[in-house]
This record gives sequence, structure tokens and C-alpha cells, in this order.
Amino acid sequence: MKTELTITTDPIDEAALAKRRVMDNGMGAVVCFLGVVRGNEGNETIAAIEYEAFEPMARRQFEFLFDALGQRWPVEAVRVVHRIGTVPVNEPSLWVEVIAPHRAEAFDACQFLIDEMKQKVPIWKKPIPI
Amino acid sequence: MVSSEQMTITVKFWSYFRDYAGCPEAAIEIDNGATLAKFHEIVCDQFPKLADAKNSTLKAVGLEYEDDGFVLSDGDEVSFFPPVQGG
Repeated sequence: MKTELTITTDPIDEAALAKRRVMDNGMGAVVCFLGVVRGNEGNETIAAIEYEAFEPMARRQFEFLFDALGQRWPVEAVRVVHRIGTVPVNEPSLWVEVIAPHRAEAFDACQFLIDEMKQKVPIWKKPIPI
Repeated sequence: MVSSEQMTITVKFWSYFRDYAGCPEAAIEIDNGATLAKFHEIVCDQFPKLADAKNSTLKAVGLEYEDDGFVLSDGDEVSFFPPVQGG
């Protein structure tokens, strides 16, 4: 399984990521998920979220998740981009792409990766009030 | 000077635990053979605000999560942090 992880302060460029997509002709499903910063956190209106990562550990934990995912589903490729630093409201902080032969495994694997990430990968957020 | 019965462990604090501790990291001396649980107790004694979040603290040694029973070695780098919130 091919994997690609990017942790960056740069804005997530969906078009550029889509352009670089490579898939075998046996693959029939591409699931892309985009996590976007909401304009409120609890009852508070916010301008942005500041993300902080313990990056070496985050990379290690993502490797474990990619391994677990590859053992459960026949996925060809996974790409993850997590933006850190200040991410303004309405802008994406997370982009995930899973390529698999069929949609069921692509959806399931994508959901698994995000659920597990939210439990294991050391990234934290701090709301920035308006 | 650290006696031969003691070892030095570096602890790093992440997210708002850094504010609770008032510093990003500290070097702490502890008896040889101490577990991660014992080390956590000593750190909470030294940085009392961290004790309030003791039950929800996630603990790593190096780049991996470890249980309370993990036996530390001299020079280990421990990280304490609150529940993660990526995405």
C-alpha cells in the first residue's frame, strides 16, 4: 500500500492534490474527506483554530494507523495532509484520500483512519476568538 | 550530581499542559527502575496544576504510548499531554 503523509503550515490545495492522484486501473473508488474549521467552538464564535503537533510522534502514530488499515482493507493508496499552525474558519485542516477497488472498503478505511487519528495522533487545537 | 541510584528523565509538556507546568520541558531525577506511573506522580508533585488533569493525561516514552507499568531508563524522554484533537 502506498502512503503519503504531509504535516504542513501551508494551506491545503485540493486541486494540486487531485492532480497528483495516481491509481491502478483495478481501482474503482476514491474517497476524499475534507475536515474544515467551523466558525464556532462550543458557544464561542471563533476566527481560527491553532493546531499544534508533536510531529515526530504524530508521524510514528500515523505509520501504525496506515499499517493497521492496510491489514484490514485491500487499499491501494492513502494520502493524508494535516495542516498545523493557524487555520482560519472555512479553511480545511485535514485532507484524507483512500483509493481502493470498491467504495465500501474505501469509505470504511477512511472512517477508520480518521476515528483512530482522533484517538492516537498527538495533534491539539486551540480556538482563536474573533 | 545524580547518584548512581538515580536517573535523569526529561519530560515534555504539550498543548495546555505546557501552560499548566509553566515550561515546555523539565529534567527530573528519579530512582532507578521507576515506572511511568511513579514518574507521573513525581511530576504532578512538582507541577501541581498537572495533578488536576492526572486521570486524562496521555503518556508517551519517545514516540510511543506506554502504560503506567513501563519501567523507565536513564535518559528516556517522556511526554505528557491532554487528549488529542486532530482533524
